[in-house]
Parts: sequence; C-alpha cells; structure tokens
Amino acid sequence: MILDSLSLDGKVAIITGASQGLGHAMALKFAESGAHIVAASRTREKLEQTAEEVKKLGRKCLVVPADVTQSAQVNAVVAAAVKEFGRIDVLVNNAGGGDEMLGARLEEITDEMWRNGIDTNLSSQFYGCRAVIPQMLKQKRGKIINVASGYGLRGGKHNYMYACAKGGVIQLTRSMALTYAQDNIQTNCIVPGIFPHNEEMMRFFKGGKFIPIGRGGDDMEIGPLAVFLASDASNHINGELVAIDGGGLAGGVIPTGVAPQTPS
Amino acid sequence: MALKEFSLEGKAALVIGAEHAVGRAAATALAEAGAKVLLASQEPGTEKQLKEAAKAIGASGAKVSIRVQSASIRGDLSATAELAVKELGALDILVNALDAPLYAPAEAADDSAFDKVIEGNLKTVWMACQEGGRVMLRRGGGVIVNITSVLAERGVPNASLYCAAQAGVLNLTRALALEWARKGIRVNAIKAGWLQDAKSPATNDDEFAKNLMKYLPDNRLIKPDELGGALLYLVSPAAAFVTGESIAVDGGLLCRV
Repeated sequence: MILDSLSLDGKVAIITGASQGLGHAMALKFAESGAHIVAASRTREKLEQTAEEVKKLGRKCLVVPADVTQSAQVNAVVAAAVKEFGRIDVLVNNAGGGDEMLGARLEEITDEMWRNGIDTNLSSQFYGCRAVIPQMLKQKRGKIINVASGYGLRGGKHNYMYACAKGGVIQLTRSMALTYAQDNIQTNCIVPGIFPHNEEMMRFFKGGKFIPIGRGGDDMEIGPLAVFLASDASNHINGELVAIDGGGLAGGVIPTGVAPQTPS
Repeated sequence: MALKEFSLEGKAALVIGAEHAVGRAAATALAEAGAKVLLASQEPGTEKQLKEAAKAIGASGAKVSIRVQSASIRGDLSATAELAVKELGALDILVNALDAPLYAPAEAADDSAFDKVIEGNLKTVWMACQEGGRVMLRRGGGVIVNITSVLAERGVPNASLYCAAQAGVLNLTRALALEWARKGIRVNAIKAGWLQDAKSPATNDDEFAKNLMKYLPDNRLIKPDELGGALLYLVSPAAAFVTGESIAVDGGLLCRV
C-alpha cells in the first residue's frame, strides 16, 4: 500500500537546524510520521523546546547541541545518534543561513565573511554527508536530504556567498547520488522558495505578491516533502531537486502578474 | 504512520492513458490513497485492458469507472472531463499518462512521423490539460500531473521528435502552472527514467538494454509503480505550495555528465 510506504515508523532521523523554522517543522512532521529525532543546532535551550514537542507526539528526541561549521561537532552528532539508536535512516542537512553580507557590495565582503558563509551553508552539509556515509554503508541503506535554495540555481544581485554555497549544495547532492546509488543510499535536495518565518519577513516579501501562487510558504509545508524524500515512497528518486516555491522557478523571465498577449 | 496530508480520501481523479502500465500504476496509487478514479484511454479497442484494470483497482473497494475514446481527441477529452464530474462528483485530479514513443533515424522520418509523435505525446496532453483545466476552473481548482520522461531534459539519438515532444510537455507544465497559479490549479510533472514496460526499448531491445543497464546509476529499470510516490506527493494537499515543478524518478540518471 502506497500510504504505508510514506510512513517513517521507527526510523531515526538527524535534523540539523532543528530548533527553528524549516528544521523545526521537519522535526515535527517526521515525528508525526513515526520517526525518532536527533535534533542538532547551536542552542540547547531552543532544541529542548523542539524535543518537548517531538516527545508529545510519542517519539524519542535526542538533543545534541552542535555548531555545524565545525566538522568535529558534526561527527559528534552522528556518533551520538549511532550510540543512542544503533543506526541512522535519514540525515537532513538543513542548518544554514545567516547571510550577514547579503546586500553588501563585492568589495565590502571580507575573506572572513566569505569563509564563514561558505562554512555555514556548504561545508556544513559536506561535513554531514561525510560523517553519516560510513554508517549508511554499513546499513546498506540511507536517505540524505540537503536543503538548497532557488539561489542555488539562479543568481541574485549582491548575492554571492549564498548563491555559490547553495549551488555547491546542489552539486554535492548530485555527486553523492551517483556515488552511492548502488549502495541503496539516496541523496536528494529540497529547494525552498520564500518561507516568511515571521511578520517582519512577511512585510519584507510584501505578503508574497511576487510569488506566482500569490503567497509565501508556511514552514509546516516543508514537512511532507521532507517526509516523502525520507520514506520508501521515494526509493527510486536520487540526485533530484524538488522545488517547493509556489511556482517561482517555473518562470522568471517576466514579472509575476504580467501576462503577454498577441493583439487580435 | 502516513501524514494525513497524503490522503486523497473523497477526491475524484481522472487518469488518461490508463490502458498502459504507467497509467494503470498511477490509478492504482491514487485509489490506494483514497481517491475515486475514472480510467480513460485515447486508444479505441482498449476496453478489455481498462476493464481488467478497473477490476483490480476496484477490488480494494475504490470507486472506479472507465471510458474509451469514441470521437475525435478534442471532443472525447472534453466529454471525458465532464464524465468525471458526472460519475465521480468532481474533478480534483487529472493525470496525463500518455506515451507514444518513436525511435527511428531523423533522416528517414516522413511528415506523418512528426504528426504522430507530436500528437500522441504533446498535443493530446495539451488538450487534456485544457479540457481538464476548464472543468477545474469552473469548479474552483484542481491538480494536474503530466507524466513525461527524462528525455524531456536530454537528447537521445533516434528520438529527436520524441525528445522534442517530451520537452514540450515539460515546459507546457511550467507555463500552465504560472497561468493558473492564482486560479487554484497546480500543474506539475514527473520525469520517468527508463521504464520496465512493454513500450520501452529497454525491455524489447536486448542489445540496447545490456548497454543501458551498465550505465544506469543503480543498474536497474524503473517499474511503473515506482512512480506512485512522486505522483501521490504532487497531487495531494502535501504539495499545496508546489507548482510548475517536475520530479525525476530515474535513480539519479539525470545527475550524470
């Protein structure tokens, strides 16, 4: 039955950046689908809140504070997960963001800003993949879900580090997919569009009027896509990018709301 | 357990191309998730296949109806979309599982090859989207999924027309998605990899299959029912923020250089 294949009953999923936004939403939807969660992010306090919510859904949640720009800390998350649960079915490389240089002119970006940004948004996902692969090879199964962005596929004015890092995430996904296809490890990539996490972002994005579908995404909407890519229902999907963006990437050559018409 | 967002309980779905393995597998997945299904075929003389499929799918208790083309493509598709509303009470989901491959050298093809391949793979999908879309617009919305191929993204020798038609379906999907984005209709596509089905050269040409198998990232063909997960995700409320997108079910093939 197809609905059974969408269940995550008893699976173990590591989610980075699980304390807020999309990572928090994915943790809750994974738990609702039956998975136990290993929640990682920098601040223990916020992670504990996620853990409370996961436990309310009847699943276990292991909290492992970690700075994903430090590979030793990422390795420690994976080791803690294996120690607690004996296996890892899913890794979601979600942590990222914090683009302090967005909008900065090229010449204003320091080496340090650049490296920090690439570490946060690209190296972190490489560290996660590298840390989890030996365990998944041992199990002869696994699912890796990387989180990219529309900027990984298209450019943005004054948007250098983030576009480069997310483009790198997409290429990491593809090469992982080809390398481990025969080991029953699928690596895929979620490409989120605009998800205004709060009122301020909602105002900034003008309520989503530039998005074809006419609104931004709700954080919880990312959950089912991640669940699908973590489940047996996607066992033959590998190296694929799935955009969840209200139609944004389907277009882009004319402004939203404009429709050309040949004169009659 | 499966999230409630994946359920199609109470939804009405029309699957065009249900006489073939891919369409039948699509209809099976939809019914398993709770949808009522109308199985339609654009090929006269396929009643037997549809009846067999309806019996198998209906065995689990799902409501299933069938319809085989009886007029011109245009008239038939219009009538079929209306029939879905009459028989199932609505038209929430339309799946176009049409596939008419032609593998032959370009220099040898005559004009009838162009018409045949473009009609069988692209024109019929366009008309089905139009007719299904009209009904959905009238009724306040719906979801369309067009099942195309990895050939929509890449070239293949001896398949110029087929590649062009599939690329046409993919970009038709994107353009319609944008046109109907604020009218309640989501339009997405599935790009199937090399399929294990009767029409595929991977199944009926041993030499080609042998070479291909080594090249595939996981050394196996896609079974039609393996498209079901992507289909269910795209048509279900789980994908409410997904439109104009396509999901490849190809084991990673499109990642290759």
